[in-house]
Amino acid sequence: MKKNTKIMLWLFFLIIAAVQLFPFIWLVNFSFTSSSEFYSSSILKWPDVPQWQNYINAWVDGKFARYFFNSFFVTAVTIVLTVVLSLTLGYAFTRMQWKLRSLFFTVILLGIMIPIHATLLPNFAIFKSLGLTDSYLGLILPYTAVSVPLGTFMLTGFLRSIPKAMEESAVIDGANIYRIVFGIIAPLTAPALVTIVVTTFLNCWNEFIMASTFLSKDSLKTLPFSVMNFTGQYSSDYGSQFAVMVLTSVPAIIIYAIFNEQITKGVTAGAVKG
Amino acid sequence: MHKVLNNKLAIFLFVFPGILLFALTFLAPIILSGYYSFRDTLAPGTNSTFIGLGNYTELLFHDSRFWLSLRNAVLLGLGFIIIQHPIAIFFAVMLDRIGGKAEKWFRTIFFIPSVISVVVISKMWLSLLDPTFGVFNKLLDSVGLGALKHAWLGDSSTALVSMLVILIWAGFGWGLLFYYAGVKGIPEDLYEAASLDGASGFKLHLRITVPLLMPVITVQITLAMITALKQMEMVFLTTNGGPGDSTQFLAVYLYNKAFSASQYGYANAISILFIAVCLLFTYLSNKLTRSDATEY
Repeated sequence: MKKNTKIMLWLFFLIIAAVQLFPFIWLVNFSFTSSSEFYSSSILKWPDVPQWQNYINAWVDGKFARYFFNSFFVTAVTIVLTVVLSLTLGYAFTRMQWKLRSLFFTVILLGIMIPIHATLLPNFAIFKSLGLTDSYLGLILPYTAVSVPLGTFMLTGFLRSIPKAMEESAVIDGANIYRIVFGIIAPLTAPALVTIVVTTFLNCWNEFIMASTFLSKDSLKTLPFSVMNFTGQYSSDYGSQFAVMVLTSVPAIIIYAIFNEQITKGVTAGAVKG
Repeated sequence: MHKVLNNKLAIFLFVFPGILLFALTFLAPIILSGYYSFRDTLAPGTNSTFIGLGNYTELLFHDSRFWLSLRNAVLLGLGFIIIQHPIAIFFAVMLDRIGGKAEKWFRTIFFIPSVISVVVISKMWLSLLDPTFGVFNKLLDSVGLGALKHAWLGDSSTALVSMLVILIWAGFGWGLLFYYAGVKGIPEDLYEAASLDGASGFKLHLRITVPLLMPVITVQITLAMITALKQMEMVFLTTNGGPGDSTQFLAVYLYNKAFSASQYGYANAISILFIAVCLLFTYLSNKLTRSDATEY
């Protein structure tokens, strides 16, 4: 490409990136201002005195530490369960020989098509009668159930592209099935597994509607509720409200920055294989 | 090898937990939903009577909100296809062209909105579009177009379009990523051959990129319609279906029927139809995609 075109393209992308990220820039900007400055006519405003108090309010009234721990715990357990179940299901569907294989595979894939919103009401009734509402398990179970179909689908695609020679030689060496799946197949599918981890993380970490339906106990609430805490009684305190939104976004952005390559690779692999 | 792969206990241990989980959180709820959909239940677990297809006939023949929700989903899906996807394809091609560090950086930046929690995005856009302190109105004021100032989400004539803008902004990263992956999969020598034939610039992409992206495009169009159909959190947190029913969607409607209007049986009938519509869409688009795939 010609040098001039390249510079033009750079400029164009810079402008678009600025426009696209503007809502966040604005959010961060006004999280440091006082409420009176907020109503001024300027679009972005250097705060007269940076209002660090907003962030203290966000941390304390948003119950940030507690909710962060809940999100972390629920997400971590969900990820572990999703990876193990997707791996074992994926292996059973692609490599093992059994009668109901294609039936069960279709059933699991239905999970990708059925909207979780349609299962929300009856799940609420079922979880209530099983005593699962207001428990970590009440979130971990549906989160895992939603993540496993996609994970299994990705793994079956990946497994089909792996030659069977490794497993065959392992069998000759006397390895049993569990050793093959967890000792040989798991490392081989690591790229697919990492993609599953990242997408599961993003989905669970940001999930709101199931959490708000299944939880009412404050001590169990997840990170999105930090923001919700500021919509009622503090709704006119925009500085603190914006601060809590910034705080809530930061962990997801950090994780994304770390695993950014992996997301792209995972999607690329999936899209190319169709 | 055969013996190892036939291990019945292992198959059971590998499959049972997943199937059990699926049965508990997908199958049982749908069956229960089906049961409630034939009853006039007010809240889960309360007394109710069997009313046959009553909820369904009411929904299909007397409930304009149901049809409005479907219409909104179709409009939103078309909005995605007509506006978001061409932009995403354009940016995917440009990212591929720019190359080097810029390719990586901008790809990273453009995806950032897609990793943010839907609660933050909703509240943020509520503020951005606020009639008194929102940035959009301030912008209009600053360029002398103050007369156009608007309660963007609060006016039924602009609410759905505003929702489309928010959703395009929030979902752009995913669209871009999928098309980018598709563009990366096109071999470079095809472009070289075409440019030897005299094609260049826009024409080159119209003749090479777009046709070769067709499989990705058809999958993305299916996804766009399903995304539009499943719209919930963003609507729930910004307009809650209003004003009037201008941003009503099936998931929001059934949620409010169940938890605010105390029409639990009716809400479950919406759930069942919702699932049916989703499966129908998936089935239809799968058929379309398949017949397309053989052409290329």
